[in-house]
Amino acid sequence: MQSAAISMNVPGFERPAGSDDAALVRRSLAGDVAAFEQLYRGHVGRVHGAILRLVGMDRGRAEELTQDAFVRAWQKLSSFRHESAFSTWLYRLGVNTALMELRGRRDVKEADVDDLDLAAGGDVPFCAGERGDLERAVSNLPPRARAVLVLHDVEGWKHEEIANELGMAVGSSKAQLHRARGLLRRSLGGEA
Amino acid sequence: MNSEFEWRNQMRKLGGPVEPARELWPDIAARIADAPAQSVPRRRIAPWLAMAATLAVAIGAGTIAYRGSGRGTPEQSTTPATLAPVAQTPVAGTAPLADAQQRTALDWALPADPALAASAQNLDNASAQLQGALEQRPDAVFLVGLLNRTNAQRLRLMRKSPYAG
Repeated sequence: MQSAAISMNVPGFERPAGSDDAALVRRSLAGDVAAFEQLYRGHVGRVHGAILRLVGMDRGRAEELTQDAFVRAWQKLSSFRHESAFSTWLYRLGVNTALMELRGRRDVKEADVDDLDLAAGGDVPFCAGERGDLERAVSNLPPRARAVLVLHDVEGWKHEEIANELGMAVGSSKAQLHRARGLLRRSLGGEA
Repeated sequence: MNSEFEWRNQMRKLGGPVEPARELWPDIAARIADAPAQSVPRRRIAPWLAMAATLAVAIGAGTIAYRGSGRGTPEQSTTPATLAPVAQTPVAGTAPLADAQQRTALDWALPADPALAASAQNLDNASAQLQGALEQRPDAVFLVGLLNRTNAQRLRLMRKSPYAG
């Protein structure tokens, strides 16, 4: 699993130019690839960052999925209805791309649930001293537990949104988060 | 140190944009050159949404049929279902999932009870239509949720197949 030394920008990254995006989207819809490249340049960091975390900091997979997300965005641009910010639409599309890929990997850790049951513990994990330790621990979580943890604790989604996205009950999302945190606590040495 | 607030604060610091380690645009540009943007008339979207609502009813009917058959509880099956792969909307450039095999398995794994078999068939149709809808609205979270619930319900019915272990 690859993790350390990923350079991240400071939060507060939103591009200010939503109206510029709208114009770029219109030009892209007319077939202007250069306009779409500008959209790519403006948003690739946010999309790739979310995907990278969801796939456990696996850079290769994250890059492939980021490419897929942008190709898909190009193909589906006409379905963007300007009801939300383009950045939000694109971000959700990227997250969907990553989650759909995770769902297709049944082979990854079939014993997720057992692992999680073993890890039942407190609500709040032991605090990691180093960011790298925390990244590695999150990366090593079973995919579904990682998805819930990343979406809730890192990306700031509500349980209702996660439940909708992953097709589970809100209570299940909360339980997955609780268990994922338990696993993290154990991984980070909280039981010591 | 171990407060919920501190934990959330620490986790949030893991977030934010991350630029790819390599330049991805040339590959993207090459791929979109081969895949021109689709022109989807917007008026087609509303029927998809209406269809999704209809599918929700189908899923509900499947649930009723399943419960009526007196086996298992819905909550019990939710987690395994979300772990299972679904027949995905193909994403350009990604390997088409090994789900083709999963779908094949689902197709033949019909419950012995004719009423449940009919529900299973409806759910298969619903799943296929939802994938089509996702092609139209790739950002639609509720469609992903519906697809997951459809497949979860279908998996429950599959367990009633004479071929199920």
